[in-house]
Amino acid sequence: MTQVDQFESVFRAAAKPVFHPATVELERVLVVTDLPPSEAQEYGGQVEAFLRHAASADAASYDTLAGVEARSTGQLLQLVEDAAPSLVCAYRNLFSDGWQWPHSLGEALDLLTQTSEAPVLVLPHPKEGSQAEHALQNINQVMAVTDHLAGDDRLVNWATAMTQDGGTLTLSHVEDQGVFDRYIDVIGKIASIDTDVARASIEKQLLREPADYIDSVREALAKAGTPVTVEAEIRLGNHLSDYRALVAEHEVDMLVLNTRDDEQLAMHGLAYPIAVELRAIPLLML
Amino acid sequence: MPTTLLLALSEGHHDVPMSVTLLFTGILVALIVSLALEEKIHAKKSLIVGVFAIIVLLLGMVFEVVPGSVPVHVGGETLTLPIYIPSIDWSVIAIILGSSLFVDVTSKSGLFTWIAIKLTKASAGDPRKLLWFYGLMTVVFSAVLNNVTAMIIVGSLTGVSLRKLGRAEMMLGFLLVEGLLTNIGGLLTLISSVPNIIVGTAAGISFVSFFIAAAPFVVVATGLTIWMGAKLFKIESLSTDEERKDALEQVSAFDENDGIESKGFFTFASVMLGAFIVVIATTSVLPYVKELGMGYVAMTFAAIMLIRYKSSVDTYYKAVDWDLLGFFAALFVVIGVLEHAQVLGLIGQGLEVIIGWGDVAGTGAILIASALASSVTDNIPLAAMLAKILSSLGTPADSPLWWSVVFGANLGGNITPIGSASTLVAVTIMHKNDLKISFGGFVAKAVPYAAIQLVIAVAYVLLFLG
Repeated sequence: MTQVDQFESVFRAAAKPVFHPATVELERVLVVTDLPPSEAQEYGGQVEAFLRHAASADAASYDTLAGVEARSTGQLLQLVEDAAPSLVCAYRNLFSDGWQWPHSLGEALDLLTQTSEAPVLVLPHPKEGSQAEHALQNINQVMAVTDHLAGDDRLVNWATAMTQDGGTLTLSHVEDQGVFDRYIDVIGKIASIDTDVARASIEKQLLREPADYIDSVREALAKAGTPVTVEAEIRLGNHLSDYRALVAEHEVDMLVLNTRDDEQLAMHGLAYPIAVELRAIPLLML
Repeated sequence: MPTTLLLALSEGHHDVPMSVTLLFTGILVALIVSLALEEKIHAKKSLIVGVFAIIVLLLGMVFEVVPGSVPVHVGGETLTLPIYIPSIDWSVIAIILGSSLFVDVTSKSGLFTWIAIKLTKASAGDPRKLLWFYGLMTVVFSAVLNNVTAMIIVGSLTGVSLRKLGRAEMMLGFLLVEGLLTNIGGLLTLISSVPNIIVGTAAGISFVSFFIAAAPFVVVATGLTIWMGAKLFKIESLSTDEERKDALEQVSAFDENDGIESKGFFTFASVMLGAFIVVIATTSVLPYVKELGMGYVAMTFAAIMLIRYKSSVDTYYKAVDWDLLGFFAALFVVIGVLEHAQVLGLIGQGLEVIIGWGDVAGTGAILIASALASSVTDNIPLAAMLAKILSSLGTPADSPLWWSVVFGANLGGNITPIGSASTLVAVTIMHKNDLKISFGGFVAKAVPYAAIQLVIAVAYVLLFLG
């Protein structure tokens, strides 16, 4: 019955995930800080000016939370929940001097990204000084990163919504080379499977799915008249080093990524190291 | 022609003692039982019949039923060949080998999957429309390709598309109807199924005559089977705009061009498929080609298609169903010996009694008997044996008896899951999709369709082909 499998494979491959555009409505943006009230207001203004580059955030109302308003992490989470924002903006290591060591996001942000119903925009720490020169100037270059792009409409819709008119949205998909090599290594030990054919076919199919999906994104955005240029970065590689290189190469103004995993309470496996290491630009964590 | 040669041989055979004829009749029964139990004894058809061919040849020599070798005159020269070489109808083998190679290479162009996906999209995901489209596609593919390939293509698409549409609960109905339609589509042309090739060749029915005679029945039986399937399995149209919008979105995600590796080859394959059908249909009137026969046409088209893959033709040779071809070759040998052992003559006497019941009862009885026999064992030996017997009885080409065998042998496959290779494929796809259906369960669901198809077939043969 191998022929049944062959045709099923052909038809499964032909059934491609298609992008469905949806409007992201940003009604209320909450900027969370641990700064004194006056500094918090100033910082909030900078964030607002930065976000207003995106048409979707232009009509939103903006509020800023100063450090004195929250005395504990629990209180902070409650304040955010009560505010019911459509987007939370914060920076790493709130209420802590942990920002001096580039090894964590800090307790408050760890919890916020997992408990807040709204996505969290993680900004460079105002005191750290590692902010990229082009960061927080505009949102001309947005990059969405994932290891499973095909069908991730929410990620693409948010990334599109955050890209300013005339800007470039780079959709990147990096398949883990280590995992791929491991499977090919196992296949190489199974006599009934032609290793070279398997390697070429699997690689081709793995990279083709996100490419097809990106084509459908381009088509849908063009049809909707969205003034955004869509670029694709699809490859086999190492997640962290490749994303780091892509961010530098494209001078990305905002990185968009998923942080939640239905099967676990902690942050998505790929998101945490990216969020910890990429400290120079804003990261939108969905 | 090997068939002519065999007939010539049979005319010259000497009297055979009844005990020897009965011994060979017992061997025939054992062969039929072995083929019916193919799955149980875990042996391929070619080996089963091959072993029987070896036995009957040896016994034929021992009992002096057949000569060890025969002289064959070719272009003024006389060759002496072992009896098992001219026993085989090589024109039938050439048609099957050529057609299967041609279809296999053509399918690599993405043409059939393109058609299948186009129809899926044209249905807008509506289950009732999808059943009609898939049903019609099954019939056409069965007629143009072969039953098994048609079932594989449409059945595998059915599994994928119904799951995508969230209608997996309808899969059993779809697959059953498609399985039954393969055997109806297999009636449409002379080359749509092996019994057609064997009986049509023996009766001297041309491709066009066969098509004209069979097409009206195929149209009626197809419509009725799909209509019954929709009713019995409650396959309804979508009722709300939201359902229609969602279904349309799901089927729109199919990309019909995904399986096309080369636009040029796709176009070439489409043209060649059209040309293949035209040339096969007109073989009997084409100068020179009519002498070479449909086997030559099929092999020629296969060779032309293989040029596209000239450096890897061995891949396609490996994909040929050698079991089927070996089965045919051995079967022709067995039947040749049984003919000399007067076994076919003995069965022919029984058939003459049935035929003697009159045009109506005799023709109808042969159709029903052929269907019942085909439902539990392979319809190819049945068709080959009956074709040989009808030939030896001097049955004219326009006799409805030929059509009784054709209709019975094809439609019998719709009574049980082992009645034809394509229904067996349908059941395999059902099991692959976690649909539990037993032998009895299949028969219970299929019998209403098969019964109606057979009643219509009997009426059709008697009224229009008599």
